Amino acid sequence: MNPNIFQSVATLQRALSQQQYIASNEIVTIAYLAHSLGKPLLVEGPAGVGKTELAKALAGAMECELIRLQCYEGLDETKALYEWEYAKQLLYTQLLRDKLNETLSRAATLSQAADLLAKEEDIFFSTRFLLPRPLLRAILSEQPVVLLIDEIDRADAEFEAFLLEILSDFQVSIPELGTLRAKHHPFVVLTSNNTRELSEALKRRCLYLFIDYPSLEEELAVVHLKVPALDKKLARQAVEFVQHLRQLDLRKAPSISETLDWAQALVALNAHHLDQDTLEQTLSVLLKHESDLAKIKRHLYKPSTQRYPDEFDSFSGN
Amino acid sequence: METRILQFISALRASGVRISLAESAEAFLAVDKIGIRDRETFRLSLRATLIKDARHIPIFEKLFPLFFGPGFQPPLNNILDDLTPEEARLLSEALRQLADHLRRQIQRLLEGKPLSPEELDALAKLVGLNHVNDLRYQPWMAQQMERALAFPEVRRALQELMRALAEIGMNRQRIEQIRARIEQNLQSLSRQLSRFAGERIIKNLSEHPHPESIDGLMNRPFQALSDAEKKILQREVHRLAIALRTRIALRQKRAKQGRLDAKATLRINLKHQSVPILIRHRDRTRKPKIVALCDISTSMRFCSELMLSFLFTLQGQIRKTHAFAFIDHLEYISNDFVGADGNAAVAHVLHRMPAGYYNTDLGHALQNFVDDYLDTLNGQTTLILVGDGRNNYNDPRLDLFSILARRAARTIWLNPEPPALWGAGDSDMHRYAPYCDLILKVGTLSELIAAVDTILDA
Repeated sequence: MNPNIFQSVATLQRALSQQQYIASNEIVTIAYLAHSLGKPLLVEGPAGVGKTELAKALAGAMECELIRLQCYEGLDETKALYEWEYAKQLLYTQLLRDKLNETLSRAATLSQAADLLAKEEDIFFSTRFLLPRPLLRAILSEQPVVLLIDEIDRADAEFEAFLLEILSDFQVSIPELGTLRAKHHPFVVLTSNNTRELSEALKRRCLYLFIDYPSLEEELAVVHLKVPALDKKLARQAVEFVQHLRQLDLRKAPSISETLDWAQALVALNAHHLDQDTLEQTLSVLLKHESDLAKIKRHLYKPSTQRYPDEFDSFSGN
Repeated sequence: METRILQFISALRASGVRISLAESAEAFLAVDKIGIRDRETFRLSLRATLIKDARHIPIFEKLFPLFFGPGFQPPLNNILDDLTPEEARLLSEALRQLADHLRRQIQRLLEGKPLSPEELDALAKLVGLNHVNDLRYQPWMAQQMERALAFPEVRRALQELMRALAEIGMNRQRIEQIRARIEQNLQSLSRQLSRFAGERIIKNLSEHPHPESIDGLMNRPFQALSDAEKKILQREVHRLAIALRTRIALRQKRAKQGRLDAKATLRINLKHQSVPILIRHRDRTRKPKIVALCDISTSMRFCSELMLSFLFTLQGQIRKTHAFAFIDHLEYISNDFVGADGNAAVAHVLHRMPAGYYNTDLGHALQNFVDDYLDTLNGQTTLILVGDGRNNYNDPRLDLFSILARRAARTIWLNPEPPALWGAGDSDMHRYAPYCDLILKVGTLSELIAAVDTILDA
């Protein structure tokens, strides 16, 4: 754990950029605030704008472990919190049978034997047989950790309610063991793609950060950083094109991660400028829906009838 | 400062942002922690703690500068203090040439006196600011108050004054300085007015948020609602959606029956040495799937907005919702609803599909559906049709409708018309009716709510 990075907003920003994460002032300030208030950070925004990446970068900057819980429909506490390793419990009972017999043989009466057994009972419901899942691991960890609860909007409403105790008090109740408290408050980051509305109760407990698509310059900076091999001029052209695509009415607008994939593809193809052939070969990296692809191709072939003829002329290479 | 933040929070609430007590307390904590020296950080710390929904960010950004605008109290500087006695004499001589009321105004600008609360109140009364409760009128109201203070005339008079000063021999550079500073004061005053207008409107908003009680509107037929009332009801639909989700969650919890859950049974019976005394079943979470076809033709326009916002909320609550709208052909509208603000999404759909004259063709829309989207229907799907079944004497395509009805688990028709009108004129409702499992008359919002309950029970 590197405690120095939370000295001020500026130090955090520097630390994040060392992690190859370009964070806007907004992102850094709110992340800083979440840490200093000890609150979970709820990050929302379109898919692929770097929400998960933010958690990874924070963990990297803090030099601590990132524990990730990927949410999905039907996720329940046995998969998120803990599970008893009953196979191991059974095995131990079998293996220790002789020892148990020996212990119990000293007892004179049945009730004494029961008392003796009761003394040993704790062994079988101890943390030894507890299979910790991400949430419990984050709470029991000896070191401070970053806990990433990814795509919380995919989980059911019940699971959200179940998270409330953990998020507000950083403790969990296990009936057999009692309440386990966190040794260190983990830094919790929740992400959501906004496919459904989260409950008020959950939102109330978190600080809220909305990450939108980046501006041209920000995105360009990310491309330079992550794909340094790409020619500077081509990078600008590519990013301008992607930014333009986002203005159009598409089923799935390309996000930063798609821009980066595309940039990689352009490097791999050794492209020098965006001409029609290159675009056609690589467009499927950017657009993931058949109808979107068809739409954009129509745009490219008939630039004169479109609303943005100038821009498309420059991309279509004629 | 604290009262300022509290006022800001109540203004946010009045504009429809839900802020709990815990959240406002946290905003104070955050401000404590991070300080108020840097305006940008201050804004972000308030936003992160108070706003928990991306749709509310624009409201926040609009109100924030009203409360914490740059230059908290508009800085007005007293120009007279800086003048040499000679200059002051020249100035008062030049001033004497102006009309009385203009002279008073310019004197105020020279002294740099902000408007007192009494003066502002009087102005508000004069321009009728106290009855405005819509922030869109803020610039207009500010402008009206500037007119009342004779700002345009004052601007003209200032030029005259400067010319007069030059004529009686004041240093040109000096005149330019005085002019710039008077201009500055003028702008400060107009900022003060604009902020005052904003605050007063917000105050009106928080005092009279709802012109009419919701209950009355709930039972009013859709045709009889004004546009403003529809807006209120849309908000109500959204509020209901939140209540609805809890109900869905409860319902899923109660549906505990179904297959044996071996893993859970083993776990629970560990204490009985794995002798299965207690049996656990897999929760059967019945997740409703919905395909909705909504008629937004001319005959339905009066309730299209509410019906679409109903579909929007439905999609927000039930993940597997496919929504379509049709007039003469079918269009897929679920994509318009993703991540968007309800009102904006509905407006967008209505704009994209303008109503024509006598062009409703449900038969053709059904053909489109069968051609392109039949795979969205299966044994778990509830098919919902929203419309009046008025088909302009086009072929109703009952053959296709029966295919859909057979494929879907349930077919529900929501019709705003009373049963007596079904089959009258160009209505084909009576011909579709035998294929539907359920036909509900949905003419008011409370009927719509009852219908939602029925749909969720499926």
